[in-house]
Amino acid sequence: MVSTIVHAGFALVLAAGLLRGDYDRRALAVVLAVVLLPEADSFLGPIMSGAHRTVGHNFTFPAAAALLVYYDTRIRGQSLLRERVTERGVRIAWVALFVHVFAHVSLDWAHLDGVNVLWPLHDSFFRLEGDLFWSSADGLVQTFVDIDLDPETGSRQVDAGSTGTTQSVHVNNPVEPDDPETLAEAETIDRRFPVAGRGWRLYLVGLGVFTVIARRLQSDPPAE
Amino acid sequence: MAPTLLNAALGALLAAALLGPAFDWRSVAIVVAAALLPDLDAIASLAMAGATNALVHNVWIPLAVAGLLYWDTALRERYGWRGVRVGWVALAGFAVAGVAPDLFTEPGVSLLYPVENVYYVVDGLLLFSTQDGVVQTFVSASADTPGILPFESPGTTETHAVPTWVNPDGRPGLALGSERRLVLVDAGWQAVVVASAVASLGVRFRPWTRSRTEATPEGSGREASR
Repeated sequence: MVSTIVHAGFALVLAAGLLRGDYDRRALAVVLAVVLLPEADSFLGPIMSGAHRTVGHNFTFPAAAALLVYYDTRIRGQSLLRERVTERGVRIAWVALFVHVFAHVSLDWAHLDGVNVLWPLHDSFFRLEGDLFWSSADGLVQTFVDIDLDPETGSRQVDAGSTGTTQSVHVNNPVEPDDPETLAEAETIDRRFPVAGRGWRLYLVGLGVFTVIARRLQSDPPAE
Repeated sequence: MAPTLLNAALGALLAAALLGPAFDWRSVAIVVAAALLPDLDAIASLAMAGATNALVHNVWIPLAVAGLLYWDTALRERYGWRGVRVGWVALAGFAVAGVAPDLFTEPGVSLLYPVENVYYVVDGLLLFSTQDGVVQTFVSASADTPGILPFESPGTTETHAVPTWVNPDGRPGLALGSERRLVLVDAGWQAVVVASAVASLGVRFRPWTRSRTEATPEGSGREASR
């Protein structure tokens, strides 16, 4: 996994940008809890093949949650959620959902074997990797999605970075730091808890810390 | 040089996070423009050897501007609280969204230019291992690098040329014949940051905000946009 600390750093930046008047310690704590929660699918690893990056890391559940919140707060006459947590709680719930999609699932999508994008509807891991540039020789080039046209049959093959299914993919994590079969034979198990595996991940951690400190140091606007 | 689009996206995210009540199209545009400023040194490199990621990518400019902002009162008198806030956030956009992303990836930044002309890259890993303890390779204490700072260095302004789309070989001269590449997004995570910035601004500027605060008209619409 991209380290949870990296997710948290980026989550703080996004939350600070979206919470507006609701920005305070409690709201940030809720957002950070939502960032932390999906990593619990690591613990399902021993009982379900490929559970990490599947159960907590997909776009199906957030979409379903968004539909539910929308239905409950906008369409129903009496909103259960609003009654429980007030209007402020509803706003924080939307921010938490946004942060979960962009700071957690999406960042993991771009890391190692990616995430199981449409699980449980469709069991397939996808990885977001490539670049997008304009070249004076080749024009606009993107390598995120490969589209191959078979010259003989004319059939089109689209590869959006598929890496396998829950049966074939195992993403290392501190609970299962290696393939389950290799782990069963290993004498000593080296569990690694990453903080930042690359420079840009350290940058995102720093960006989150900077944002929170800057928000604290800022002066309040004058009363009008 | 990190993609300019990434600098702009990070600038927009910082603007949304830090501007507070001063947040509107104009102030966001100022912060994003400040985040794009450092990349202008690529143009200077056409005439001046080794200007890319050095001339406007050093710590001195942000430090000087911060000192000015702190000391100066003209800005406060002329533009009030709002002007001061936009000024500080634009400075953050310049340093944190404009310069810093280049420091954490190849080809690096000449942080102390022109005092010394060494490029630095802060790239490595930091983790805790149950077998090896804390492992970190960001800061290298064994200083076989040419500079004073304890970071990895890909070279100096003389030995290390930074190619950009403005200046494909990184050396003075126009090099009209060579292929130019304007990189928009270099890796998956950058695509995620750009998408997050677009989505964040979309949410902040959403047109349906006003209709949601139907119980309290106009005045608290401003309150909600804080």
